[in-house]
Amino acid sequence: MVMDAKPDSHRTTGGAPSARPPKSRINWSWLGVVPFFAFAIMFLILPSLSIFVRSFEGPEGQFTLDNIFAIFHGRDFINAYRTSLTISLITAVSGGIFGFLLAYSVILGGLPSVARSFLLTFSGVASNFAGVPLAFAFVATIGNAGLVTRIIENILNVDIHARGFTIYSIWGLSIVYMYFQFPLMVLIMAPALDGLRREWREACENLGGTELHYWRYVALPILMPTLLGTMILLFGNAFGAYATAYAFSGSFINLITIVIGAQIQGDVLYNPGLGNALALGMIVIMSLSMVGYLTLQRRAARWLR
Amino acid sequence: MAFLEINNVSKTFGKTTAVKDFNLKVEKGELVSFLGPSGCGKTTTLRMVAGFEVPSSGEIIIDGKDVTYEPPNRRPVGMVFQSYALFPNMNVAANIGFGLKIAKRSREEINQRVNEMLELIHMPGYGNRYPHQLSGGQQQRVALARALAMHPEVLLLDEPLSALDAKIRVSLRGEIRSIQRELGITTVYVTHDQEEALSISDRVVVMNNAQIEQIGPPFEIYNFPQTEFVAQFVGTLNAVNAEVVDPKAKILKFEGQQLQTAFSLDKLHSGDKVMIAIRPERLSFASQEKKANILKGKVQNITFLGAVVRIQIGIDSLNFYMDTFNNPYLALPKIGEDVEITCSAEAVLALKERKESQG
Ligand SMILES: Nc1ncnc2c1ncn2[C@@H]1O[C@H](COP(=O)(O)OP(=O)(O)OP(=O)(O)O)[C@@H](O)[C@H]1O
Ligand SMILES: [Mg+2]
Repeated sequence: MVMDAKPDSHRTTGGAPSARPPKSRINWSWLGVVPFFAFAIMFLILPSLSIFVRSFEGPEGQFTLDNIFAIFHGRDFINAYRTSLTISLITAVSGGIFGFLLAYSVILGGLPSVARSFLLTFSGVASNFAGVPLAFAFVATIGNAGLVTRIIENILNVDIHARGFTIYSIWGLSIVYMYFQFPLMVLIMAPALDGLRREWREACENLGGTELHYWRYVALPILMPTLLGTMILLFGNAFGAYATAYAFSGSFINLITIVIGAQIQGDVLYNPGLGNALALGMIVIMSLSMVGYLTLQRRAARWLR
Repeated sequence: MAFLEINNVSKTFGKTTAVKDFNLKVEKGELVSFLGPSGCGKTTTLRMVAGFEVPSSGEIIIDGKDVTYEPPNRRPVGMVFQSYALFPNMNVAANIGFGLKIAKRSREEINQRVNEMLELIHMPGYGNRYPHQLSGGQQQRVALARALAMHPEVLLLDEPLSALDAKIRVSLRGEIRSIQRELGITTVYVTHDQEEALSISDRVVVMNNAQIEQIGPPFEIYNFPQTEFVAQFVGTLNAVNAEVVDPKAKILKFEGQQLQTAFSLDKLHSGDKVMIAIRPERLSFASQEKKANILKGKVQNITFLGAVVRIQIGIDSLNFYMDTFNNPYLALPKIGEDVEITCSAEAVLALKERKESQG
């Protein structure tokens, strides 16, 4: 008989109260996170509050619901939200899937370690490559007069833009976004895949399981919290992107961020109240997706608690 | 015919030979342990039985069926890993029932078997816990239950206790042994801890450098080691290079002192070198009456080990250890004192040099 075979609840319950209560001391360890909270309050909470307040302000500073109603009034704003959501979903899901597959082949595909560290470093760089340089790079390669476009035209005699394909579309922009979404996924999934232990696969095999059983019952459930977490990150990454899209297509593609930009700093469309209301809409959408994410996450990570 | 047969198995990884000419027959219900230093090929051999490695040559037979090239998921083999390897995303019950679920057994059957297994490992009521909520010893018991739930014909354990602390290790190995006996399951147990191997095995396979040194019951391995390696690796030992004086009378000498052995020196000639070994507990101080097989030396050190007192005696340049049972009235010599020690001729083991290939 082994002692620790018994439930160890008796260790925590029914213990006699100790004669001397522990000395109450001030716990200073929270001091370490003060800078973080200060930062969060100054650059996250206060701006959000300001957006909230000013969404309900008219041009003269009076309270009004006009800005909110305006969002639902014209089609344009709803469409802009829809476009942004579509691109974010497309790039989060496909970036997630392809990034996962690439990370899988990098980590578990028996790649030589040189190639592996090169790919990870490259992913680190690429995931931060956004904004004007990225947009320009794409225009210069597969834009209407891009290098690759020309080469294909000259060699294969095919005009890739002839059949209605244009990079100045939701799909085109999605491809551009994929350029940073996909490496970001690789970057986050690689260590998670590294964390899968060989013994789990072998234990599964030993118990009669196949590769499919392993992925279905063991590996994917273990990775799920990370997968979901990364997808929501990709989603937010795309949803809030502005500079890349603006540099890429100007206001050709009506993303909600571009529309807001026009309201806040535009010469023609200047209406900061409406801009704030639209931004509030973004915050609401992001909050809703966070709630959805947290619900899923709680289920996926049940075993971690 | 033996239940598990490992016939002439060798395994090479590139230029390293991990296992060479491994031959072993394990009877049904027997517990055999592989004992040897790190890197000697214990795990590799075990993994070949489990199917995670394919032998470079030779064959593995379980219950008369050649399984050498069968994939792991089609072998009737249960495995317990050193690092527990429980699925962290499943609770204890799901871990134990995993194999049965894969095999599409009914839910009642799975539940029943899981409960049986929890009883077996003395952890009823733990079904809903997750692995990270268990101690190392508990996790390893669950791993054992998981491996046994499928009714495997052979159970393999790869250093199952080496990650646990000393106390749990001792109690859990007793538990593993009693479960193994209760189920009568043929078992191979890998360890580098000689005490563990000697205490739980029916037979011990001592390995070194990818090869088997000796196979035998613990008693035989300890008392009659056949090679220098086995003698050195299992237990403490006084080993010296001696010279044959008279092969017929079995007289040897070293450092100018003569000693008689009970082991045959027939194949040797006067003047040949031979390695001899004496266990510390076989030595004692020479008494007045008994004057045979005497070695003269000087006490160098005395160490108190609890039940045993270990006395280090210098015989010229050599150090001998002598163990005597502790008792409160023990009359111990002083350090620096000249003493005479003795042992029976049976205690003087003549060892073989390590042979290059062993059948
Ligand atoms: N997959 C592999 N590739 C290359 N060499 C290997 C591989 N597996 C084992 N080896 C080598 O084979 C030899 C035997 O290894 P093995 O793991 O069987 O030793 P072991 O007796 O289990 O040691 P330990 O007690 O440290 O676990 C070692 O030299 C090891 O480096
Ligand atoms: Mg090993």
